[in-house]
Amino acid sequence: MKRIVLSLFALLALTGMLFITGCKKKEAEKSSVTVFWALYDGLTEDYRMDLQNAFMAEYPDVQLDIVPVPWDQLYDKLTTSIAGGNPPELSIIGTRWALELLDMDAIVPIEDYVSDTTLNNIFDGTKEAVINGKLWGLPVAAGARILTVNNSLTNVVPKTMEEMKAEAQRIVKDTDSYGIIMPGKKHTELTDFAYYLYAAGGDFFEMNADGSYGKCIVNNAAGVKALEFMVSLAKEGLVPDGYLSQSRMEAHPVFYSGDAGYVMIGAWVKSAMEQAGSDFKATYAQIPGFAGHPSTPLVITDSIAMFKDADSLDAAGKFIDFFYQDKWKAKFDELIGFPPVTKSAAKLPQFQNDLYKALNEAAGGAKPWPLMNGFAETTDIIWDAVSFALLGEKTPQQALDDAAKKVDEMRADL
Amino acid sequence: MKNRILYKADEVRLAYALLTPALLFLAVFMFYPIIYVFLMAFFRTNKLGQLKDWVGLKNFIKMMSQKEFWAVALRSLSWTVIAVTVKTVLGMTIALCLNQKFRGRKIMRMLFIIPWASSVPISAMLWKWVYDSEFGLLNQTLRNLGITQSPPVWLGLPGWSFVSTIWVDIWIGIPFMALVFLAGIQSVSQDLYDSAYVDGVNSWEKFTKITLPSIKQILFIATLLSSLWTFNDFNTIYILTKGGPAGKTHILITSIYTNGFEWLKFSNAAVMAVFTFVILLSFSLFYARQFFGKGDESL
Repeated sequence: MKRIVLSLFALLALTGMLFITGCKKKEAEKSSVTVFWALYDGLTEDYRMDLQNAFMAEYPDVQLDIVPVPWDQLYDKLTTSIAGGNPPELSIIGTRWALELLDMDAIVPIEDYVSDTTLNNIFDGTKEAVINGKLWGLPVAAGARILTVNNSLTNVVPKTMEEMKAEAQRIVKDTDSYGIIMPGKKHTELTDFAYYLYAAGGDFFEMNADGSYGKCIVNNAAGVKALEFMVSLAKEGLVPDGYLSQSRMEAHPVFYSGDAGYVMIGAWVKSAMEQAGSDFKATYAQIPGFAGHPSTPLVITDSIAMFKDADSLDAAGKFIDFFYQDKWKAKFDELIGFPPVTKSAAKLPQFQNDLYKALNEAAGGAKPWPLMNGFAETTDIIWDAVSFALLGEKTPQQALDDAAKKVDEMRADL
Repeated sequence: MKNRILYKADEVRLAYALLTPALLFLAVFMFYPIIYVFLMAFFRTNKLGQLKDWVGLKNFIKMMSQKEFWAVALRSLSWTVIAVTVKTVLGMTIALCLNQKFRGRKIMRMLFIIPWASSVPISAMLWKWVYDSEFGLLNQTLRNLGITQSPPVWLGLPGWSFVSTIWVDIWIGIPFMALVFLAGIQSVSQDLYDSAYVDGVNSWEKFTKITLPSIKQILFIATLLSSLWTFNDFNTIYILTKGGPAGKTHILITSIYTNGFEWLKFSNAAVMAVFTFVILLSFSLFYARQFFGKGDESL
């Protein structure tokens, strides 16, 4: 009997040792790099596979795994992996998440692992993830939001939000189509409220003299005007019937199919329309301000960040250098439709058309998200307020008053 | 005698040796996380969920002073009660029907198992398409049949979204209940029904006086399991509504996820998780006591 027990333990120990040595041997042979890869509209699976295979062909000592993740699941997947102590080497992040990740001590300065050639080829203006003098993420996509006009329904390029609404009313009256796309379900962030808030001259927080964020001010006159406008678009039937259940991913295809006059959207619109087989001509223009306010579109920067607890940071640096070559990065920019962040790609002929002209113009007066801790909860609270107002359960003023109070309480507790 | 004792001691050692891997597995993957969640509820945690300072009951007091928490807890309760009741009633009805002899009974039994055999995320995705307000099967059907030209936005309005998500949970859960009940019904002795027939007992009385008491244990196990699963049904809500609109379909389990992995407030998530654990444990014990009485040793 004793022999049986001893044999059993010996077998278990042997299995364990084989497992450990097997893993170590494998590690010694190859570095493994995992990349959480945001699925931007327009980005294809072929491109992802080609990039992965090409890199591994050039660096056979590195096992690269580019993991595609839908945008609205990326933040959750990332935080879950960090909390579980198993982060990827690299991940695309919304640059506004950088402070939170830094607060978690999860990321490392990416400039320590990337070559000077790559760093010097990136426009300084797009390096938004500079915190405390260090660069924590390389810009991967940066672009202001624009208005796209469906020319099969209208040729009016509105100068103000009020003009856009008037034309949307005409489209609904004269055709069997919707006036404007307005997702009523939260998609990752508050984008669709921010368009109107910034257009009304509003902001999320007041700025303190030292450059830090003060109280939440979404409930001021500009915020209320923005939300009242959104509610009026919905009440007057200018947006798709099911807008309340549509996130951006579900709402934008209605525009691509030609059933709406206007959409406020990112630079991917052209490639997404091509992929959706849109058969109408579109004009790219600026998101208008409300009467008396300048056009102030939202600008969004996404970055690629490197994670402290991952195993193969040097190999990850090699991947970044590889990816930021024109052959790959310019193709990436072209597919997702964003203007290039690298100086060499910006000179290429494919980035000289009407879309990029509109995007460059928009970048001039654009405003980014606040870069702050607790942003994920802030956006949830404010989007709930938007939903309450759209559902008619609260007036825009009540909803935003409640939200501002809640955001301030939450931030005081951080 | 001595040999027998030695033999028994060897057997005990072997039993422990065989149990050790499984116990280690349970300790690492089940007991440790549970204990850690309890600890997090009594500590201030950082954004990685690491324990920082002992705060005692402060996290509980803060959480339970929020009316949103109680709204979510109440919603979890109503979600579970409604879903389990409907699943039980429909499951029993289907089981009684499938117990009758009719042509195609085997095929019907196979068809009924499909929702249960499919994975929950796939079923939820399927229903998301069905509910789509623009292109969904449900609204297209309502329009085509002329019932209404402006059908509801199923997943966009608070009332409808709650009903719609509950229905998906019910749809997925009915086959389990029906099959378990069917197995129970089939185990009831035919002699009891024959005697009842001779005594002129009607169908309803047969059901209430013979079938139900005979499958009491199965009914208990099935409804208890269903209650626990329904209370913790994360996938259905997360895929269909993510707790929206305006948090109106959040239940405790989805709130735990939001607090923990979206807002990185692990202490808050842990408080809700402990609350859920206590509620479900108390419910299970109370339910078992009520159902079988104190003296019943059958459990």
